[in-house]
Amino acid sequence: MRKTIFSAVLYIIAMAIILGTLTYGRPSAVVGLFLVSGLAVGSLYALGGIGLVVLYRATGILNFANGAVGAFGVMLAWQLGQWGVYAPLTWLAALLAAVLLALGYGRFVAPHLAWRPPVIKAVATLGFALVVLGITGFIWEDDIRSFSLPTDKSAIRVLGLRVTITRLIVIAAALGIVVAIYVFLGRTRIGLQMRALANNRNLSALMGVKIVRVETIAWGISGLISGFTGLMFGDLVRLEPQIITFLVIPSIAAAVCARLDNLMLVLVSGLSIGVIESLLTLSPMLKQVRPTAPFVIAAIILVWHQRNSKINISGDD
Amino acid sequence: MKLNKVLAMLAVTGMCSVGNAAFAEMMEPTCGASTGKAATGEAIKVGGIHGNAAPGDFSSSTDAAKAYFDCVNANGGIHGRPVDYMVENDQWNPELASQAASKLVVDKAVVAMVGNGSFIEMSVNAPFYKEQNIMAMAAACAVSECFESSNLVSTNQGPLASSVGAAQYAEEELGSKNIACIGLAIPTVGPWSCNEVTRFMEARGKTGSTVLLNPGAPDVNSGLLEAIASGADTIMVNLPAGLGVAMLAVAQEQDLGDAYKWIASTPLYDASVPGALGEYWDGKLFINAELVPFSRDGADNTNWLALMDKYAAKDDPRDTFSQAGYLSARYFTETLMAMDAKDIDDRAKVTTAIKAISGYTSDMTCGPFYVGEADRHMPNHAGVMVVVKDGGFKEVRDCYEYDSPYFAELIETEKKLGLR
Repeated sequence: MRKTIFSAVLYIIAMAIILGTLTYGRPSAVVGLFLVSGLAVGSLYALGGIGLVVLYRATGILNFANGAVGAFGVMLAWQLGQWGVYAPLTWLAALLAAVLLALGYGRFVAPHLAWRPPVIKAVATLGFALVVLGITGFIWEDDIRSFSLPTDKSAIRVLGLRVTITRLIVIAAALGIVVAIYVFLGRTRIGLQMRALANNRNLSALMGVKIVRVETIAWGISGLISGFTGLMFGDLVRLEPQIITFLVIPSIAAAVCARLDNLMLVLVSGLSIGVIESLLTLSPMLKQVRPTAPFVIAAIILVWHQRNSKINISGDD
Repeated sequence: MKLNKVLAMLAVTGMCSVGNAAFAEMMEPTCGASTGKAATGEAIKVGGIHGNAAPGDFSSSTDAAKAYFDCVNANGGIHGRPVDYMVENDQWNPELASQAASKLVVDKAVVAMVGNGSFIEMSVNAPFYKEQNIMAMAAACAVSECFESSNLVSTNQGPLASSVGAAQYAEEELGSKNIACIGLAIPTVGPWSCNEVTRFMEARGKTGSTVLLNPGAPDVNSGLLEAIASGADTIMVNLPAGLGVAMLAVAQEQDLGDAYKWIASTPLYDASVPGALGEYWDGKLFINAELVPFSRDGADNTNWLALMDKYAAKDDPRDTFSQAGYLSARYFTETLMAMDAKDIDDRAKVTTAIKAISGYTSDMTCGPFYVGEADRHMPNHAGVMVVVKDGGFKEVRDCYEYDSPYFAELIETEKKLGLR
């Protein structure tokens, strides 16, 4: 507990110093705009990171294919929209396609790698991401497209910046998913089995946990979150499969900051990364390094975590 | 699919009554010697390099050049001989771009490069072309090396001229006093073109600033906010179309359409853009077109569409780069046809002939095409302005020449060549 409070205080001090340095001498109205903008982008990172951590906690697999699966889903929704399909049905189709893709991998590929080291499992998902991206690129050749949701048209003003309902949905969804997954993993039998499986697959199997069933559910949930994230990214970032696919990278930074474990920390990390990245724009000297911000922050956090223990992609401490 | 979009746009804009395209479908394209007989004999080797991989496809320039050469081969060729047009894809990879140039120039011994279109190829190969004494008559250039090298010349304008053109329209017609130019954070693209916009504005006693955006940045919002924080009254979107549409979507989210004047360089002059932007930008976004609108009447514009219909694949884009590719191939063909037949396999003589080009004209461009012996080539520095209107584009200013310190040297060259 003391350690947690110490870390929290340190985080607050570090953020205050960073934000104070970056915003020094700037009008508060301008700072407010960048702050809210950063929170909006950070919520996207957090949403992507939460999708990663949910599956990781349940299966021990760091899934690099989340972005590609979501990109396929939103492209499908766009295509159906072009054909005149009723909009809510196109969103459902996107979610369904993402779930099916994730389930397909989780059911038919992942079990064959079950006993391989975590790094190999992660790299295999990267291969899957490239396959899905390739198929998406084959079906939908490079063109200028846009995807919008009805919630884009309504907005509220926060510190001078217009924040659409879609962005609020992202923030609410990130919070909602964190709470729902906490409850699911902590209060349900399947959740308990998922945690057991992620912790020790051999022991779980010996104790009678139905591995295939539990992992299938985990992949299904992961696919659902990926599909939702893809719809949000397609709307709020841009409808380009390549961009959506590789948004998983800054999302990984948010997940790594939370040691691939604590969902609330993923949320805080994602939002913090978004805000710092946005405020870096205010510095003439540092604005060029903005794209590297998520990884620099993740590296610093990793080094901080390592001060007393070891951490690697397998989660072994 | 893109042809359908172009045709749809023609119908919507009403710029061309029944339509240039409809007429083009009926007419027989002309090219080269126009004999109607297939060329025979040993082929003249010509190369071309485009970039085609995610996130962009510049192949429409070489597609159009290939269609033109196919037409030439079916119509008597050049001095009776066919053109063997060999095209390579650099896939936006500098190493592949270098290999492609080496393969074509050294291994295949092409006499010239025609229709090149890439972000990468010109940056990598400009010194190589000079070293090999070969001319590249490019068509889809976007980097400074393409316009500031001795052995490269392009029929398109690139971001600098197009941005200055858009800024000039805004300053003269929209009353802009401070323009924030949002460009790509690639030194030979964004800073090169946006800084020239600032120079242009300062030359007119106004102000400008540059905002740079990483090509893969998910957060375009902060770029927009930076532009707003600069105090600008006009925001220029000088970005590839996909990123530009994302930027405008964020501006729409902030409901800034009426709070600022919005202008853009050529990449947003694409038939897909008005549909992707939606009604919000109707009448608000002014775009510079580096070649004349696709739909405009004119011998070359009509012939280009007819030629694409007959010799290109149905789904090859009919866009600005395609127009420019057609023009590069046409100028190259006419240059070789004017040469002595025995010299057209001699690269040095072909290079000399291309450098001697002075005053080719086309209804596709607002000024003459010339090359000359110089370290800078930008013959195309006059254009047209359009506004996004009714799901298409409406022309708001006919051909006008851009006025900026950058063009002074070019204008001197044109005077020496007797083009003014």
